[in-house]
Amino acid sequence: MSRLSLEALTLAQGGRTVLENVNGTFEDGAITALVGANGAGKSTLIQAIMGLLSPLSGHVHCSMPKERRAWLPQQLALDLTFPMSVEELMLTGRWPTHGTFKRYGPDDYRHMHGVMQRLGLSGLAHRPLGELSGGQRQRALLGRTLMQEAELLLLDEPFANVDTHTVEILCDSLRDVANAGATVIVVLHDMEQLARLADCVLLLAGGHGQWVEPATLLERHHAPARRHAHPQAPFISLNLPDVPPCSTY
Amino acid sequence: MLDLLTTLDAWLIAPLTDYAFMRRALVGGLALSLAAPPLGVFLMLRGMSLVGDAMAHAVLPGVALGFVLAGFSLPAMSLGGLVAGLLVAGLAGSVSRMTGHREDSAMASFYLISLALGVMLVSLRGSSVDLTHVLFGSILAIDDTALWLIASVASATLLVMALIFRVLVVECLDPLFLRGQGIRGGLVHGVFLGLMVLNLTAGFQTLGTLMAVGLMMLPATTARFWSQRLEGLIGLSILIAMVSSTGGLLVSYHLGLPSGPCIILVAGIAYLASALCGRHGSLLARVRRRATPLETDEKTCTPS
Repeated sequence: MSRLSLEALTLAQGGRTVLENVNGTFEDGAITALVGANGAGKSTLIQAIMGLLSPLSGHVHCSMPKERRAWLPQQLALDLTFPMSVEELMLTGRWPTHGTFKRYGPDDYRHMHGVMQRLGLSGLAHRPLGELSGGQRQRALLGRTLMQEAELLLLDEPFANVDTHTVEILCDSLRDVANAGATVIVVLHDMEQLARLADCVLLLAGGHGQWVEPATLLERHHAPARRHAHPQAPFISLNLPDVPPCSTY
Repeated sequence: MLDLLTTLDAWLIAPLTDYAFMRRALVGGLALSLAAPPLGVFLMLRGMSLVGDAMAHAVLPGVALGFVLAGFSLPAMSLGGLVAGLLVAGLAGSVSRMTGHREDSAMASFYLISLALGVMLVSLRGSSVDLTHVLFGSILAIDDTALWLIASVASATLLVMALIFRVLVVECLDPLFLRGQGIRGGLVHGVFLGLMVLNLTAGFQTLGTLMAVGLMMLPATTARFWSQRLEGLIGLSILIAMVSSTGGLLVSYHLGLPSGPCIILVAGIAYLASALCGRHGSLLARVRRRATPLETDEKTCTPS
């Protein structure tokens, strides 16, 4: 069962074609990793799925309404000097159901406390945004995303510049959300995180998309990673034309 | 004791009970103080503190045109100012969206054109005395029409701000989040700029087009030294504006000085004093700053 699929999707950004003829289906309840070099079109694809960028040709078929899609962008526009606490930031995640006028009720607060506890933010509810560490901030932002109770989560490099503890919390939370039936799409660079999190991988390279099994990608990747003697930071090499396609596609 | 009361009465109460123009000025000042500072708080938080100043200049040719066409008529001049301000804001917004240039550069260009036009128009028809009046306002000129205008603008501003408050906050905090929700932030931004122009136009009679920005921005920037919460900033800025309006008016009355600059200077003194010894980020606060001990709940957030 799937509520999101791409059909012959071609996307352009600033007059330059970024992706061509991308096809595929994102399974419900699965975490799909978007993998590719900088400029490969990961963020562009995410914008198209969010409905913020019209395709040059082809279609994004998404049966989930706009307000049920949550997006955590990579380039944050968040103003950290804004006088707002973690709690208030998370409550803005209620926007899809509450909009401009509806009051936050006890249910909203209960839900928020649950999310805070899961993300280890309970003690930080009243802390101003400007006083958070990078990891705490990322957890608060994921908290806001979770408050949206979305059916589709799009996260653009959520693990960049955060500590391992935060990565663990974020991974567990994303798995919970997926288990509850949501479609989760995460842009990833790190092989360890990919091994841990991804059920399927959409590899973007040279303007094309290719679906691969995580295991296959990991296998292909481990040999060069060892040769480079950087076992802590095994980044994905991006030219994999001979990777066999993911069995489900 | 009685002497003290008499002195206080002579300084604070008598000017208001004796002169109707002082009462009108006070009511006008207080009404402006209720509406303009919250706008100033949002301008400051959006990093647009100087945009208010640009818009005040932009209002000028409209006011001048009203003056040229209808003489010293408040409705004509206000309407002209409002149209000119909205036109400049709209043009700047459109050019910036079309070209992808930053909005402040487009706004700077348009307000300069606007200002030059305004000065040209006034000097074609009026004397330099008129120009001074348009630029710096005159307390004696506040009649019932002016009061009605100010009171209506203040009420409308507060009402609209209450309606768009949450969306304005979210748009200030994280415009991308709002975009993801399918809300066009440009519309909110436009309404907000419209409110600002409305307030500047309402304030020009009391304070002059240029000084009207002062009552918007100075209380907001002053409040930043005392509160780190949005509600606190808004409440405090209104309070500071009200005290400055009242204080400035009385000082101008007793010392025979122009009212607009007096009101703004009182607010300016509050700003300087706060920059020196406010609670947050002031000179004194920096000197006194001590690290607070680790909170116990912090432990839950560190890896075990």
